[in-house]
Amino acid sequence: MTIDPGRSATVRSVEPGGARDEDLLRRLVAGDDQAFRELFSRYAAAAHALAFRLVRQAQVAEEIVQEAFLAVWRNPDRYDGTRGSVRSWLMGTVHHRAVDAVRREQAQRRRAEQASGMGPGIEEDPVDDLLAAIDLPRERKLVRTALGALPDEQREVIQRMYFEGLSQSQIAERTGVPLGTVKSRTLLAMRRLRANLGEGNR
Amino acid sequence: MIRDHALIDELLAAQALDGLDAGDAALLERELAAHGDCEECRRLEVEHAEVAGMLALALDPRPVREDMADRILAEGRTATPPIERLESRRDARLGWWQAAFGVAAAVAFVFAILLATRDGGSTGVPGSAIVAFEGAAPGELAMSFTPGESGALVWATGLPDPGPGKVYELWMIEDGEPVRGACLAPEGGAVAAFLDADPSSADLMAVTVESQACPDAPTTDPVYTADLGTAQ
Repeated sequence: MTIDPGRSATVRSVEPGGARDEDLLRRLVAGDDQAFRELFSRYAAAAHALAFRLVRQAQVAEEIVQEAFLAVWRNPDRYDGTRGSVRSWLMGTVHHRAVDAVRREQAQRRRAEQASGMGPGIEEDPVDDLLAAIDLPRERKLVRTALGALPDEQREVIQRMYFEGLSQSQIAERTGVPLGTVKSRTLLAMRRLRANLGEGNR
Repeated sequence: MIRDHALIDELLAAQALDGLDAGDAALLERELAAHGDCEECRRLEVEHAEVAGMLALALDPRPVREDMADRILAEGRTATPPIERLESRRDARLGWWQAAFGVAAAVAFVFAILLATRDGGSTGVPGSAIVAFEGAAPGELAMSFTPGESGALVWATGLPDPGPGKVYELWMIEDGEPVRGACLAPEGGAVAAFLDADPSSADLMAVTVESQACPDAPTTDPVYTADLGTAQ
């Protein structure tokens, strides 16, 4: 495991007291159950929300979270601090697994629709309660505010890609926006989010 | 030498959101390889990863079952603390995978030749290789890759349905240790998937039936295996 949190995180984790994530990971490498429990209690609910948001199936979401944390428990040394914070590693792991599940589900649904001769079903409205911030913990409010400050077209790309698991070409196909535009909006949105999150963290 | 990072920046932004298409993922791999040990590339990767990691916090937390941490730890305790467990898992599985390796080595060569010659020879790409999988289950499964380069195409026909809530999972076996490759969900028995890794570092490829969550370690015996020594 390489842990060098000092050089990497431009958007700092706001940790709710207790040991730093990186210290918990170090203890985890030594097989410390308590360190695992602390990390789990810190991130499991957020990871579960993310997985459920993407896969929309309670059992699959739970399996994804369990497998992700089991992987952390089994192989904490896979964390590389030069590639970001523990939180981004954990959430990235969960997100990646959930997106895999979403794309498999999409493929199966396409097959079922083709077999039944039906076209694609009515899509859910991607705009939801993400931006309704009432008495939220500081970090959640910060992220929602940063999302809310994005231009609509950039927020839509983030929403469809991160929270629905669509690839850039799928977004282009569904929205009718040229793929090149989707790509440039992705980059602009990420840059603006970083700036907004950085400002909010000061 | 000053390098342009505009393309890498754009690709890394989408990668952090898991939004890259397979072709762009391969392009990113090539670009990063071309930049070598590049501090600016790492900085961009970290920045985008951190932003993506924050996005998850926008959602209202969803409690997990109270016993989930206990169950994960219990599974871990069945052996030992993580580092020792990794070693023991490696030892325990070595025999299992080596047995699979032996079977694959005996029969995969024939399938590889059949597959490679079906359309008149090789993949048509200089330096590329094809390897065919063998198994007791029906269907044909093969992989095309260029040794030493990241990225491989995996395709199959006639695979049986893995069952409700199940998928196939591809593993690269390196020194007897399974490394997660890709999840394969057949449509009408057919699969076409991209493996974002260089399989030539593996001795053996194997496919197991797993839950849709695609676990990090195989939980069932392989249904297909391929000896990379037989690649054409």
